[in-house]
Amino acid sequence: MTDPLLIEAAERVFSDTCTHEAIEAAEREGWAAGVWARVAEVGLPWIALEGGSLVDALQVLRVAGRYAAPVPLAETGVLAGWLLAASGLPVGEGPLTVVPGRPEDTLKIVGDRLSGVAHRVPWARKVERVVALIEVEGAWVVAAVPRSGMVAEARVNLAGEPRDTVTFNGQAHVAAAAPGVDGAALRYRGALTRVMLMAGALERMSELTVGYTNERVQFGRPVSRFQAVQQHLVQGAQDAALVGMAAHGAARAASRCQARFEIAAAKLLANRAAHTATRAAHQAHGAMGMTREYALHHLSRRLWAWRSEYGDDVFWSSRLGGAVAQAGAEQLYPAITAGSAALEV
Amino acid sequence: MRFEPTELTGTELALQKDVRDFLAAELPPGTFVPGLGMGAARDPAFSRKLARRGWVGMALPRRFGGGDRSAVERFVVVEELLRWGAPVGHHWVADRQSGPLIKRFGTEAQKQRFLPQICAGELSFSIGMSEPDSGSDLASVKTRATRVDGGWLLNGTKVWTSGAHVNDWFIVLARTSDEADRHEGLSQLLVDLRSNDLRVNPIPFLDGTTHFNEVLLTEVFVPDELVLGEVGMGWAQNTSELAYERGGPDRWLSTYLVLEHFLRERAGRATSEQAAALLGEATARWWALRQLSLSVARQMDRGEAPAAESALVKEMGTRFEQDVLNGVQQLVDLEPSLESSSVFEQLLARAILTAPSFTIRGGTNEILRSVAARGLRRP
Repeated sequence: MTDPLLIEAAERVFSDTCTHEAIEAAEREGWAAGVWARVAEVGLPWIALEGGSLVDALQVLRVAGRYAAPVPLAETGVLAGWLLAASGLPVGEGPLTVVPGRPEDTLKIVGDRLSGVAHRVPWARKVERVVALIEVEGAWVVAAVPRSGMVAEARVNLAGEPRDTVTFNGQAHVAAAAPGVDGAALRYRGALTRVMLMAGALERMSELTVGYTNERVQFGRPVSRFQAVQQHLVQGAQDAALVGMAAHGAARAASRCQARFEIAAAKLLANRAAHTATRAAHQAHGAMGMTREYALHHLSRRLWAWRSEYGDDVFWSSRLGGAVAQAGAEQLYPAITAGSAALEV
Repeated sequence: MRFEPTELTGTELALQKDVRDFLAAELPPGTFVPGLGMGAARDPAFSRKLARRGWVGMALPRRFGGGDRSAVERFVVVEELLRWGAPVGHHWVADRQSGPLIKRFGTEAQKQRFLPQICAGELSFSIGMSEPDSGSDLASVKTRATRVDGGWLLNGTKVWTSGAHVNDWFIVLARTSDEADRHEGLSQLLVDLRSNDLRVNPIPFLDGTTHFNEVLLTEVFVPDELVLGEVGMGWAQNTSELAYERGGPDRWLSTYLVLEHFLRERAGRATSEQAAALLGEATARWWALRQLSLSVARQMDRGEAPAAESALVKEMGTRFEQDVLNGVQQLVDLEPSLESSSVFEQLLARAILTAPSFTIRGGTNEILRSVAARGLRRP
């Protein structure tokens, strides 16, 4: 179980720093120096590597998702830091990012030189090092490249978070990946980080919608009193509850095993909720939710963006469904009750 | 609204295995016609067998023949029975709600009279809430109990009373006095369905089955000792009864077997992209919904009253039951028939014909959304 004090501390850091203005400024400038400074000062990016557990780090990500924290928290510790530490490379103290691995990437490694182009790399333009996981003749290699060894072309996702196109041409720190660390493992772990962020965002979005509809008065009463509006409130709360529970289950399983079933299931549900919950929240907010000045878009745009990162709906439903079909009718209920212990995905 | 994540303990997992082993031995696949969740067949002999294993009235006190087990342990047993399509019809209502209601509000004499027989899988119950003019708006019930010497005279009509033609008792919500607040002045009375003073008329269901009834109560004498709980407190008691009825595995497993048998029928064949998508999404949803539902059971074991949480889960679970069915229908090129020799096709046909009731029975989804929304508005 994660220490409630850790969650409280994270809540404090993010609620102090991730103000509306700070998130807007981060989107304009591509970096939130103030947020990162506080987050780093408290050590939140490196929890899983320094004394804490993976579950702790994942629970902090969930809080980060609530506050739409515009920093590479998932990338620095849970993804890049994990790749580096597992292969014996130094993690260092600055912000890191990871190459998610898109089909159109063209990375090549010769000796200790990394070349080629990688796409959709979070915050590449501002981090100290970019970490890539590359397959070289059937073996997986971890390469860490400092900013001097690359050129980052600014790109953003739907939420305005940096997702840069990076051209590498320089020396890298190279090491063999730890056993079990391969492209698939990175994709699952990446998906798990997005599940946690999305669970937090869905939870906050539900609270925001309940709060807004309690205050907004039309026809002489708060709009939350109308059954038609209540339907949206309930949809948002259901999505938040379901994905929240799935995120907990996936995080718990990931601390014990590869948790492929749980992560696939949780990411699929989070992706689906990105549609149903944002539709409900926006409908309940009316025109106000479509404005820049109101905070809903900090959450809804992130949910839309994260939905496509580390596996979209079709990717996870066909992977999970394929495994279910493969295992057959006898394994269906055991999978529902025991997850990865009963079904290999 | 809060859902604490929880897992089954070692003891609970052992219980799960016991039930699985029991069902595999007692009802091997192919030897019985599986039912759709709580709509499964009634088989008093099976109910008695379950009772001998201690799996009926589990959460009732040991001194009345129950097991003093937790809501979670009951969850584990019920879940396995439903996903197996076991014939739970005979004891279902008594086990889920009438027994716990009597335990909570009944007198010592009532507990001694009813609970041991419920725990033995003998006594069966129906629900006496709905009336021709009172569905979602239950406080408007017109069935009236009039004070007479030594008890009450009951007059009125109850409808949609499942199993009234075969069950032993039902708990009737009736007006015992007129008050300014119509939620006051209601009471619950235990009524013998075999009494000569009541008439049970079948209301055929749209698929031709006859589990539905109208019950006409004409001058039915109910002695004081069969008033359940306090006179005038029927509304609060009834509301707590509904909480037992909501949020459990019966609210998301009704079409489980349709998908399992779909999978069985297609064994060895290539899986289309659409079939994989349905299988993936349905499995993911069951996995997560089950944990929400389990979390509600844990809350009940902690003595909390998760009314809003149960409503939220039931609303989501019952819609999902219908979505699974529709998903399967989109994948199969056949004309579903109750007369088919294929278990899959029978289940599919039966599910299509009964699915609209999933989001109505035990509180319509519209009412559930109001209950859940009220819970959300509370800080």
